[in-house]
Amino acid sequence: MSHVQKVAALVCSICFGVAVAAAADRIFTTPNPAVELKRLFPNAVSFSPLAGEPLHFKAYAADPKTNPSAPTLGVAFWTTDLVPQEHGYHGPIHILVGIDNTGVLTGVVVTYNSEPYGYFSVEPPKFALQFKGKKVSDPFRVGGDVDAVSRASISISSAARAIRDSARIVARQLLPEAGK
Amino acid sequence: MDPAVEGWREILAPQVVDLTLLAAFMALAMVSFFRKSVALKYVTFAAAVGYLGFTKSSLVSVSDVFRLTDLSVPEFKYSLAWYLFMLFVVATTVLWGRVYCGRVCAFGALTQLLDPIVPRKMRLEIPVRVEQHANRIKYGVLAGVLAYFLITKDVAGPIRYAEPFWMFGLFGSPAMWIGLVVLLAATVFVRNLYCRFLCPVGAALGLISQVTTVFRIKRWSECSTCKICEKTCEWGAIRGPLIVKSECVRCDDCERLYMDQKKCPHWLILFRRKGNTAVPVSNPSL
Repeated sequence: MSHVQKVAALVCSICFGVAVAAAADRIFTTPNPAVELKRLFPNAVSFSPLAGEPLHFKAYAADPKTNPSAPTLGVAFWTTDLVPQEHGYHGPIHILVGIDNTGVLTGVVVTYNSEPYGYFSVEPPKFALQFKGKKVSDPFRVGGDVDAVSRASISISSAARAIRDSARIVARQLLPEAGK
Repeated sequence: MDPAVEGWREILAPQVVDLTLLAAFMALAMVSFFRKSVALKYVTFAAAVGYLGFTKSSLVSVSDVFRLTDLSVPEFKYSLAWYLFMLFVVATTVLWGRVYCGRVCAFGALTQLLDPIVPRKMRLEIPVRVEQHANRIKYGVLAGVLAYFLITKDVAGPIRYAEPFWMFGLFGSPAMWIGLVVLLAATVFVRNLYCRFLCPVGAALGLISQVTTVFRIKRWSECSTCKICEKTCEWGAIRGPLIVKSECVRCDDCERLYMDQKKCPHWLILFRRKGNTAVPVSNPSL
């Protein structure tokens, strides 16, 4: 094999490896986002595993192992579990959303996006911050109550829609208090 | 975390992977270009399709052309890779012409990867006169989508229906997929159909390279009569002694021919005149 062919084979296999790794990253969310959950519910003592219909984490104010009637502070969920059809320009954007029992968002954390360069230009940390304290009944309109940084890009619109739609589904199905 | 006190470390950390891979890709593209290496060009194609395409969907889109009209650019410190990519695209276009179209664009790389796969017999050779008119369609497409954008401010429509680059995200409506299949099927018969005749981004880069192109492809005096390169050019960019800068994507095919001392009449005539068959070692500075 010539030198050029060896280089070609090496680069092609690296590209293939990167593509496979990227595809796996793109599909799977972490099942135990401990750090991110703590950011959404700093006062929670423990969290349930991802379970239920729709899939969610429960945030407990006391350890449910010692206190079976421990009250919950709210729930957290992946937008990709709730609205898997929602899609940025390149692919799904993984967002963990926290929502308290009254239907107010405790925060959102964007853990992964594969959007083209510059499409998710507000990624850290301004984009996520503005969702804290929003109610599920808010409009979540980019350019309205959600900042449109440098034109409402496809990625930002998709992320805002994903947060809104999934939060509304969760509020309707899991949080009877939220509608009141 | 308070955004007011974030340091350069917090800003750079999420961008390091993108910046590193992009820099590596740019280096590969430029090395393949300067060495005029066929093998490295195909490696560049594979990297463009795999990384810039299916991993990142980072192609220059017609929506990036729209940005020129309203100057809505991403925030600099969070979008370093975007700025580096755009700088690379514009700089290479100004210096050499449509290098981006020829080896960086993931869709162009994908259709060029068909070249060694599709048998030559299946290729339709378009008559030169038809080609010269068809070349202009892309400027019409560019003008059309620009007008559409200025009137409606709608970005989503053009990036779905005026360009096929969404395909690298593997997510589209049935109408978009049908359009793509028709386009790719036609590309099997007409080489690089989209890039040559339809692409509004290629049209915009063609306009830039028509005006600038600092380092041009050098030609011999024999090129005014010889037709070898004109017939070889897969992009319809050579017309007699002229290279049409807005069509040339710097694929290196003709430049390799100029250097080929067994095929290029420039060398054959030179040797005959000298009356010897020894191959001179001097290399033309191309």
